[in-house]
Amino acid sequence: MNILEVKDLRKRFGDNEVLKGISLSLKKGEVLSIIGSSGGGKTTLLRCLNFLEIANSGLITVGGKTVFAAQEGEKPTIAPEAQLSFGLVFQQFNLFPQYSVIENLMLAPKLRAKRMGTGESNEEIEAKAKSLLATVGLTEKAHEYPCRLSGGQQQRVAIARALMLSPDILCFDEPTSSLDPELTGEVLRVIRSLKDSERTMIIVTHEMEFARHVSDRVIFISDGVIEEEGTPEEVFGNPKSEKTKAFLSAGQK
Amino acid sequence: MEQFVNITLDLLVGFGETLKIFFVTLAFSLPLGLIIAFGSMSKFKPLSALTRGFVWVIRGTPLMLQLITVYYGPGLIFGQVLLTSTAAVYITFSINYACYFSEIYRGGIESISKGQYEAGQVLGMTKRETFFKVVLLQVVKRIIPPMSNEIITLVKDTSLARVVTYYELIYFAQRYIKNAGLLWPLFYTAVYYLVFTALLTFLFGKLEKKLDYFN
Repeated sequence: MNILEVKDLRKRFGDNEVLKGISLSLKKGEVLSIIGSSGGGKTTLLRCLNFLEIANSGLITVGGKTVFAAQEGEKPTIAPEAQLSFGLVFQQFNLFPQYSVIENLMLAPKLRAKRMGTGESNEEIEAKAKSLLATVGLTEKAHEYPCRLSGGQQQRVAIARALMLSPDILCFDEPTSSLDPELTGEVLRVIRSLKDSERTMIIVTHEMEFARHVSDRVIFISDGVIEEEGTPEEVFGNPKSEKTKAFLSAGQK
Repeated sequence: MEQFVNITLDLLVGFGETLKIFFVTLAFSLPLGLIIAFGSMSKFKPLSALTRGFVWVIRGTPLMLQLITVYYGPGLIFGQVLLTSTAAVYITFSINYACYFSEIYRGGIESISKGQYEAGQVLGMTKRETFFKVVLLQVVKRIIPPMSNEIITLVKDTSLARVVTYYELIYFAQRYIKNAGLLWPLFYTAVYYLVFTALLTFLFGKLEKKLDYFN
């Protein structure tokens, strides 16, 4: 069964239609890479999935449940807690600077436990935080503040933080684009290790090598539409669309 | 010598009155400023226009004029005094400073990157939680220098209260000119202001250091 179904998602900013009807589906444990040139709509798609932008129309279901439905000109319906179906790792990390690494991880779950009365104790939350820090290899940095970490370490903390609320689908918005080249490796390794643990992920990326080796499927978005879709072998090895060919060969120069 | 000690103690009483204005004004204007800041940032246009217009009037007219208006205004219009000079001073100072603070708050709040709010949102935090648990302390850190400036100005602005017969430090000192022909107590008041602003400067420095652990 598909964990994620997106149907005919459209988003306009003023007169500028950025998403012109995106449909895609994702199976549990699958990794989807989204490639394409800047301004093509990749990031907007990810932001719509995370409700940072509200799509004008379309349908999003997670695990068979409709979390978002909107029709042109009508107020969209968003399921309560829809936000938590998705996690997002930002290009700029966006850690909370005044909190230590472990506090960054624990803040949202603690507030949530208090707000919803879930009964989850601080000890349980802390144990989860510690185990996720171990996953991203930063156990010894638990009590450091973000400003004392390298960009790569900050991004690994951000990944762990996004996993704290156990999202069904973890999204990455160009997770290595603001990192020095020598720091991208450690972040990509962490993402790769998550794939091994059967996480469902959507990755917007400019790292073609990474997309080729880690993803189960790749889509190429250009001008607000899915121009090409397939396995990495199909999209990178034998692209059908002229636009995809042009994009991929430009990247190789 | 005895005269010096006596006058020093007398002026200290006057300075106590000055400090009352200072602390009462802070207690009201610090939170009120935040409310005004939210008003001026409101997406509801009439509210933000109204708030900004109000801030413009308050910041665009002399505090002394505002004191006179609040204290004597009701008497001129309704034929009877509504407020004691103490109440008029507290109200006018609080509103005046709240308007200045509101602009500092607004600058601080708007300087926080959108990414902080978005991170809070994708982690399922409410807007309120994100503001109070994530954004506010970062705002506080950024506004300490302009706030300390404004607060130090307040220490000295208190001397304006005397125009509506609120007896504070300068008034106490001026009495010695009239009653005893002594001029030096007036200049001597500078020491009180200087000592107090030195203390404030020290405290703000401490606070700034305390928040140095993040940026």
